[in-house]
Amino acid sequence: MATQLYVLYEHASGYALFSVKEVEDIGALLPTVERAITDFSLFVTTVKLVSFSPFKSSTNALDNMNSVSEGILHDDLKVFLDNNVPKSDKANVILGIGDPRISATIQDEFGLKCSNSDAVIEILRGLRVHFPNMVKGLTMQGEAKAQLGLGHSYSRAKVKFNVNRADNMII
Amino acid sequence: MVEPHRHSGVFIARGKEDALVTKNLVPGDTVYGEKKIEVENDGSKIEYRAWNPFRSKLAAAILGGIESIHMKPGAKVLYLGAASGTTVSHVSDIVGPEGLVYAVEFSHRSGRDLINVAKKRTNIIPIIEDARHPHKYRMLVGMVDTIFADVAQPDQVRIVALNAHNFLKNTGHFVISIKASCIDSTAKPEAVFASEVKKMQGEKMKPQEQMTLEPYERDHAVVVGIYRPPPKNKNK
Repeated sequence: MATQLYVLYEHASGYALFSVKEVEDIGALLPTVERAITDFSLFVTTVKLVSFSPFKSSTNALDNMNSVSEGILHDDLKVFLDNNVPKSDKANVILGIGDPRISATIQDEFGLKCSNSDAVIEILRGLRVHFPNMVKGLTMQGEAKAQLGLGHSYSRAKVKFNVNRADNMII
Repeated sequence: MVEPHRHSGVFIARGKEDALVTKNLVPGDTVYGEKKIEVENDGSKIEYRAWNPFRSKLAAAILGGIESIHMKPGAKVLYLGAASGTTVSHVSDIVGPEGLVYAVEFSHRSGRDLINVAKKRTNIIPIIEDARHPHKYRMLVGMVDTIFADVAQPDQVRIVALNAHNFLKNTGHFVISIKASCIDSTAKPEAVFASEVKKMQGEKMKPQEQMTLEPYERDHAVVVGIYRPPPKNKNK
């Protein structure tokens, strides 16, 4: 049986899992995906949305973002993967992830094979281009809003920024 | 009198001394004490902000006659080394309400100022994080048309390449400001620029233009290029 490649895409608005059309050899996927990036109709025949789970609130999003950026498997992500990656034929499933650090944890936790190959990186590039068109109810504007809100809360937390004080340079 | 510049989104204010200006996205607001210029046009007022080439390498490159900055109204720009957000605010003016600027800055001190600028200008997404680790902020950034980098780090070509692999669309452009002494203070600037350009070629980055920033900055160069250029002889 051919292996089935899934790809996890972490977006400012939530987690999404995509399945990639079955291929004999993952190495052979790269040229197909490279071509598909510029062509939406070609891309959607290769990569399909399995599930999308939006963050419940902005605090929830920030919490998840902090985990993702540190390469930690957040509980929400654990539940999401548990619910959506098919368990029946684990041996034939490969999960593509953008960050090698998180894949080690997932490998231990679920016994899933993970990949950060060039093909996965290319698919993630394609998802970055086409994502708002692939998830219902999400637009380019909606995407920008989610990024803007999360960017502010993430960066503020980083510098311990206080909105109510113009100057707190002395720590 | 304000005239549009060759680069769309950039303007020239004619006066005793000509000045480079951008159309203020938030009228009434200044970012770093720069001069404001108001122009009346058919009863409506338009406000511009002066852009000092001695304080901004991008402005210096424009006045130096750079071919293209690859930033125009509606564009998405990833800005590495955003500092306090002074040049970023002009880029935010250029791309306008339809565009986006993802502004990455590592220093917390400048980061605070950057967040303050971004609070008023909603097309700037502030990201306080190390540009060497794009995977840390991969949730925040979409695909961009252009990467601008002014990080002044010895490995800056690698930093730009890492970000390009993640976020720069095919045939997107990069604009890199290189300070020779930050890369190698013992070598001749020309040699440093040449070796940096050589590094780019190994990363699917094809340099198209190089110019120095004299007389505004010493031993600085700006390199503009294209990422993953379309294959040649396709249309022949």
